[in-house]
Amino acid sequence: MVLEQIVGIEQRTQSKRVIAFHNSPKPQHKMGMGTAFGHHGETIQGAARFDNNVTERFLVTLPCSELSAQANFIPSRDLQGEVVVSSCKTKSKQAAEATLRYLNRSSFGGHLELTSNIEEGFGLGSSTTDVVASIRAVGDTFDTTLRPEIIARLAVDAEMASDAIMFDGSCVLFAQRRGDVLSYLGSALPAVHVLSVNTAADQPINTLATPPARYSDWELQCFRALNGMLRRAIRMSDPNLLGRVATASAKISQHYLPKPAFADILSIASAHGACGVQVAHSGTVVGLLFDAHCARSATNMAGATKDLETIGMAPDFGFCTQLEGLKDVS
Amino acid sequence: MFHDQSMFQDYELPRLTALAPNLIGASFFLMKLLPARFVLDQAERYGHLKPGGRICETTSGTFGLALAMLSVARGYKLTLVSDNAIDLILQQRLRDVGTQLEIVEAAPGKGGIQRARLDRLHKIMADCPGTFCPRQYENPDNPSAYAAVAEQISERVGEIDCIIGTVGSGGSMSGLSRILRMVNPDLNVIGIDTPASFVFGQPDGARALRGLGNSLMPANVDHCQFDRVHWVTAPEAYQATRELHRNHALFQGGTSGAAYLVARWWAAQNPKSNAVVIFPDEGNRYTSTIYNDTYLQSLEGWSDRLPQSPIQVDDPRAEMPVWSCFDWNRQSINDVLLEKEYAHE
Repeated sequence: MVLEQIVGIEQRTQSKRVIAFHNSPKPQHKMGMGTAFGHHGETIQGAARFDNNVTERFLVTLPCSELSAQANFIPSRDLQGEVVVSSCKTKSKQAAEATLRYLNRSSFGGHLELTSNIEEGFGLGSSTTDVVASIRAVGDTFDTTLRPEIIARLAVDAEMASDAIMFDGSCVLFAQRRGDVLSYLGSALPAVHVLSVNTAADQPINTLATPPARYSDWELQCFRALNGMLRRAIRMSDPNLLGRVATASAKISQHYLPKPAFADILSIASAHGACGVQVAHSGTVVGLLFDAHCARSATNMAGATKDLETIGMAPDFGFCTQLEGLKDVS
Repeated sequence: MFHDQSMFQDYELPRLTALAPNLIGASFFLMKLLPARFVLDQAERYGHLKPGGRICETTSGTFGLALAMLSVARGYKLTLVSDNAIDLILQQRLRDVGTQLEIVEAAPGKGGIQRARLDRLHKIMADCPGTFCPRQYENPDNPSAYAAVAEQISERVGEIDCIIGTVGSGGSMSGLSRILRMVNPDLNVIGIDTPASFVFGQPDGARALRGLGNSLMPANVDHCQFDRVHWVTAPEAYQATRELHRNHALFQGGTSGAAYLVARWWAAQNPKSNAVVIFPDEGNRYTSTIYNDTYLQSLEGWSDRLPQSPIQVDDPRAEMPVWSCFDWNRQSINDVLLEKEYAHE
């Protein structure tokens, strides 16, 4: 992705708006609001060597509309370029300040308020969700809707690595450490119901302290096949293919960040007609995936829930990959 | 700019053709381009092959041709050690692209021609330090290379129930099976060998059919991947090659014929399952042999009749005058052969 091109477009639209401001009386900048979905880990996370022979780490996020964060940004001319955050959200603070610089609004600072229903440490994207909501809130103050590609760059600058939730429901193969889109896969994942199991609710993980997986040359090659099937799954909107890819990626992830009771969860999924399982590759949650358009899925999910309870892995909640808009988190 | 760092990118992958509602043929231009390219990529990456360096390999087949093509494109010097089994047209093509060809003859004593070729290879490696040897039979990059085909099949076809192909170095079938099983856990894998090939336990001997089978045991053959093994004779493979051409207008080589014979039978037996069959190379090298009726009729044991189904054998060491098959059941070769040893006690 050529950042300069995108930046150029953003700045052109912005400069028109500035002219409009000059014609009106001195503007009062409003409070900006931003929201962002959380996610339930990834459908795939890995690395591969692409045609240009460069090894890239990538992921495809599984967005979750049950999880979200909201940010309010109250601009202030007294805080030049500085953003004050109520809690210890240093990454959101950094991202908001970077957004001010990006928008050439460093004469402003402001106060950032964050609300979120996402628990930290389970791989649900609590941090990126805060960061993206913050970036959007700053943009909103200056009536700018930032493109996801720009948000991705700003988020990675603040976080080192970031999920692809700024793309909302649409699917991208995302280089999480560069904030770059490797390919645009489609407008939505196939419709699946996800049963969420937290395999280690009492042991949250510091995801940023988790070292990136050191995939073998063999695994780097294997991810090519997974990517091929994923592209088909999205193009054909095929939940079964999606499940196969997610399961294969989850199995590879077991070599690096193993989930307790993974084998048991896998056999429960298989016994109850699930399309597969997916995991948070830097977290603790596992999702059992069921075809949302299959009439038997409700019965299957009930059966799977019962069996999961028996092994002490009762699902916490369920959701569907077809996003239906943000829920109020206040 | 047109990006083709790997060279021959568009020649590497097979073209997919529907041969039956549940059977897809994957026809390669030259299958060995894929492992040859990947083996060189890895050697460059890990510093085993320097710009302008020398590559040396023992081969009498298409792996040599693939190395020769890549050596021209990437500026390497190539020495191939072979024997008189290498056909004249291939020799001419190799020399045309600047390959240094070393034809050895079997020395009297143990090991035969394979030993003589390896001895010459080792001598060249010792005389020219820094020479890179791809070692297609042992190099794990050979099976890994086939991830590209698994990617293509997974994207174009989706889930598959069966993969069928010939086994020589073990690279294509072992690599494809392992990778495809990650996304197709119930995949059925059918390997095709030829009588008197050591690969699946036959006593080694003279073989008329080239391009599959082996007199040695390549480390890259992962026997535990195979559910079933078929052995196809040379006349049967040639006949099936012609039928592949007559029925589907696919002009492929003799190993493709062997694969087609088995795949067509399997697809008819399993109408509710879908299969992909691998056709490794094109027919141009065989115009004066497989595609020449006079030549075929001059062959010893030539028959116009092609068996409709294989003979099921209960021992992979059995004599196999016609197309035969054995339920391998994903076992190691030691387990299969030991079981047979005990059965005979």
